[in-house]
Amino acid sequence: MSWIAQNLWLIPVLPLLAAGISALLKRPSRSLAAGLAIGSMGASFLLSCAALVATLGKHGAAARQVHNFDWFALGDTVVRLGWVLDPLTAAMVVMITFVGSLIFIFSVGYMAHDENFTRFFCFLSLFAAAMLGLIIANNLLLLFMCWELVGLASYLLIGFWFHKPSAAAAAKKAFITTRIGDVFFFLGIVWLYSETGTLLFYDAGRGCLEQDALAKMVAHTTLGGLAASSAIGLLLFCGAIGKSGQLPLHVWLPDAMEGPTPVSALIHAATMVAAGVFLVARVYPLMEMQQAGVSEPIPLTAVTWIGALTAIFGALVAVSQTDIKRILAYSTVSQLGYMMMGLGIGGVAVGMFHLLTHAFFKALLFLGSGSIIHGCHEEQDIRRMGGLKKFMPVTFATYAIGMMALSGVPFFFSGFWSKDEILHAAWNYGPSKIPFLLGLAGAFLTAFYMTRQMCFVFAGKYRGHGADAHHGENPAQSHDPHESPSVMTWPLILLAACAVLLVIVGTPVWPWLPHYLEGREVHFSLAALFNSDVLLLLLTSIVVVAGGIGLSWWFYGLLPAEKPDEQDPLEQQFPEQFAWSRGKFFVDELYAATFVKWNARLGELCHDLDRRVLDLLVSIVGWAATGCAHVAKLFDEFVVNKLFDVGCGGVRRGAETASELQGGQIHQYLRNIGVALILFVFILAVGCNK
Amino acid sequence: MNPADYLQLLTALAPEVIVVCTALLVLAVDLLGLQGKPHSYRMSIAAGITTLGCAAAVVWMFINPTVGNWHGGMLVIDPLNETVKAVLLLLTVLTAILSVDCKFTRHVGEYFALLLLATVGMMLLVSTEELLMIFASLELVSLTLYILVAFNKDSRQSAEAALKYFLFGGMSAAFLLFGFSLLYGLTGTTHVPKMAEKLFTIGADPLLTVALVMVVIGFGFKVAAVPFHLWAPDAYQGAPLPSAVFIASGSKVASFFVFAKVLLLGFSQLAWGDQEKATGGWVPLLSIIAAVSMVLGNLAAIKQTSVRRLLAYSAIAHAGYMLIGFLAPGGDAFGSLLFYVTTYALTTVGAFGVLGVVESQVGGDQLKDFAGLARRAPVLAWCLMVFLLSLAGIPPLAGFFGKFYLFAAALTNGAHNLPFLWLIILGIAMSCVSLYYYLQVLKQVFVVEADEQARPLAVSFLTHAMVVLLAAVTVLLGCMPGWLLDTIHTAIGELGW
Repeated sequence: MSWIAQNLWLIPVLPLLAAGISALLKRPSRSLAAGLAIGSMGASFLLSCAALVATLGKHGAAARQVHNFDWFALGDTVVRLGWVLDPLTAAMVVMITFVGSLIFIFSVGYMAHDENFTRFFCFLSLFAAAMLGLIIANNLLLLFMCWELVGLASYLLIGFWFHKPSAAAAAKKAFITTRIGDVFFFLGIVWLYSETGTLLFYDAGRGCLEQDALAKMVAHTTLGGLAASSAIGLLLFCGAIGKSGQLPLHVWLPDAMEGPTPVSALIHAATMVAAGVFLVARVYPLMEMQQAGVSEPIPLTAVTWIGALTAIFGALVAVSQTDIKRILAYSTVSQLGYMMMGLGIGGVAVGMFHLLTHAFFKALLFLGSGSIIHGCHEEQDIRRMGGLKKFMPVTFATYAIGMMALSGVPFFFSGFWSKDEILHAAWNYGPSKIPFLLGLAGAFLTAFYMTRQMCFVFAGKYRGHGADAHHGENPAQSHDPHESPSVMTWPLILLAACAVLLVIVGTPVWPWLPHYLEGREVHFSLAALFNSDVLLLLLTSIVVVAGGIGLSWWFYGLLPAEKPDEQDPLEQQFPEQFAWSRGKFFVDELYAATFVKWNARLGELCHDLDRRVLDLLVSIVGWAATGCAHVAKLFDEFVVNKLFDVGCGGVRRGAETASELQGGQIHQYLRNIGVALILFVFILAVGCNK
Repeated sequence: MNPADYLQLLTALAPEVIVVCTALLVLAVDLLGLQGKPHSYRMSIAAGITTLGCAAAVVWMFINPTVGNWHGGMLVIDPLNETVKAVLLLLTVLTAILSVDCKFTRHVGEYFALLLLATVGMMLLVSTEELLMIFASLELVSLTLYILVAFNKDSRQSAEAALKYFLFGGMSAAFLLFGFSLLYGLTGTTHVPKMAEKLFTIGADPLLTVALVMVVIGFGFKVAAVPFHLWAPDAYQGAPLPSAVFIASGSKVASFFVFAKVLLLGFSQLAWGDQEKATGGWVPLLSIIAAVSMVLGNLAAIKQTSVRRLLAYSAIAHAGYMLIGFLAPGGDAFGSLLFYVTTYALTTVGAFGVLGVVESQVGGDQLKDFAGLARRAPVLAWCLMVFLLSLAGIPPLAGFFGKFYLFAAALTNGAHNLPFLWLIILGIAMSCVSLYYYLQVLKQVFVVEADEQARPLAVSFLTHAMVVLLAAVTVLLGCMPGWLLDTIHTAIGELGW
């Protein structure tokens, strides 16, 4: 086993140390906290690269290196933890540490004016540690612990500006909503443990994702004719639904945009929300177990349909939003749906490939939006922006790259190829063509809403705060938007470069990354591109994307909005449908009217029960206890204390006697020995003769 | 015996030889080179040589672990007594470090040489299974300790204490020797394991009973168990501080080890006398001694106003607890006993270290001299709290686990477990009593205010370091008792007891 596989734990522990140290720092030690966080992340990045190198050139099961150790033993049961180094782990840790480092650097600029700068970096490091731990875990329990820790970090960071009521509410919402998924996830873990007796993924044939355990679980049929493996897979997928913002638990993710923008970029776009997708990829052997009598693996079918529905749902809502970050948030929901769909129909490589490319360009877009918000004096409404192209050239250029990658503009952007892989897989999906059609519609909408956003933000003229007042009279006090400092633009440039460069390793001509993820060999083949199937699909998606962009340009680009409160052109055309989309299909309202209300009713009921019935019981018990206490007090005073006084008196008298033995006369001492001899011999003699 | 055998013997005895050479070296360096130099300088040099010598002996034992038996049990070396010897050397070093700050003598070289010779005596004492050798090395220890107690020639108290100690010790040595000679007469051998075989065939014999009692008297004096304890408070109070420390720590460890070994190895057949009833053998005898020691030691300590005497009575009480470890035959109880006596010795050295600072800076060892120590020397005060609470047996300190293992071993051993339930209950009750007088000291330290003009104490770095280190060890051994206990149990396991 290679050195890095033995010491993989260092990757999460370094940020953890940084978090621990900066938790102890005082508020003013800002640069130290930032330095620690960025330094630890950089070091983890180097280690991750070493891990990546260690997995290169190996195929199949040989690409997986596992290190397990005993955690503790309860009786005969030994609980073991461990970590696993395989292409999946390596690709994820490299992505997380790289994107994370850039986002940390960006945060130095973005959070420069915040008084809780040190705390922010402490939380970010904690998050990074937990996320990396989640990736390398070779044990579902360890994964779950890190899973909860990233949830905690997310809660802390969404509510970072907790003095804003909306931020506090959003943090709570995120925490509680994901907890619903986690309950099922945990049930799945417990069930898995009771079926297989281990939670290690890979353990030289004894792990829960290896042949013996899987075969056992498939053979075991539980309620409704469902195999245990399918049921557990569905339960685990529930956790992924919560964490990855899939329908119907997506409601927390848009609200999570209340947190600082770097947090949105890191946690709610690139890494944590992808943890659900990663979980499905990690337990894929379990997910794809096919039970007898069913044509497709049941968990994967669920993954496919939920993913497809989420993809189209998110895109539909994103079309009409006006908050720059909320558009991106719904876009994230939609893209996560794509990833799930990719996993469900195409396997690990398809879904994970899109996860990795998406991480880069979505982090880029979020950081770009952060830069825009920063430049526009904390304005987030795209109707109050406009014309930023000339104020923020770097941001514009990088944002445009991110937008094109997300929309799937052909050939030069990684998003095009990864999305195409998913559509390709969907085209070949046996049971139904509906996921393919939903995906295609989603692609169209994605191109549409991203172009809409670009038009609002960068085209036309500036409509923001103070746009009409003192035009150019006093440049020093100008309220015009400004470009962000270089500490913020450089991460944008690097991410943009990655969003483009990933193309090299992902095209069908040389699909290195997808094949690497599945541990397969890769060959260079130009012919793969000119397969009629592939070509047709490429053409279709190009047409769809071009249609989306063109239509959007026709709506928004030709005649840019003049005033902030102008009616949306789309709204003029389709007022009813637009209202549904703007209202996010009223899912939040539905939940408020049902679950939240029922819960509140139940709470009131419990409260009444508590007040009327239990309080009475408690009072009765209390009176009884007071009565007993009086009796006990009397007992205490007249019996215990008396006895204790007597006892203490005895001890005191004994002490006096004992110290009087010490007369100071040596002949008395010596006499003592003689007396003792006679006494002891007598005792022994009596004892022996009895 | 040919020269090669002598060479082998010398190698086996190398740690002892190293210590003897160190003793001579200290004497020579001080007498030849350092006369006329400042006192503290001479002390430091001598303590330094002592430390190096002891360290060399320990290192030798670690590098060359020896197992063997020379001249029919005259010299027996096994992992267990190597461990005990390492502990003894550590205690010697601690005593030497404590001595540096004490100004009780001008005869520096002689003092340290005697200290080292006493150490050699203890090392030989623990590495033999031969009655004669036991007696000879016991006498080496006793005689040097008498001199060490008398070493403060300016103090009448020191001389008085030494004389009492000497007379008492001489008397009990006579009993011990008488007992040994009776045993030799009965069995025809002085080798303890062989003696045990012979005793098995003889059975209960009145003369044997007398011999047994005499042996118990001889060792009972060394470990200061009631009723052979009477020398202890006087000696603890009158002796120079380092001598008292050495009596309370090193001498105690060695004596308990050899006492237990002689009884468990040699008299195991006689443990219960009559198998039917819990009377007759040495087990009931020792249970009586243990009970009386616990009661008397703890009660008398309550009345003391001198902290030295308080610690002396507490030592008597602890001897009582430790004797409980004898009552359960087998390696477990023996291991627990060794753990207890080791942690007790380290804790006592620490407590005496703080006491020494208070004596030299405040001018007395009375309870009131400790008033306000928490303000005057906060580090020492907190360390003293650790030591005293450990002595009282408060978790998570070493003393608690010492008591716990000891009591547990005595309770869970073999068929004869319940007869001693009363003894263990008594021990626990007496621990509560002991808490009272330890807290009396701590009350002075932490609650009572010092005088108006009391100033912070000047404590030397060495003392500070040593006391803090000992406190840390006390806490650590409490948190991870296995660290020492496992070593001891492994060593005992290798003996096959």
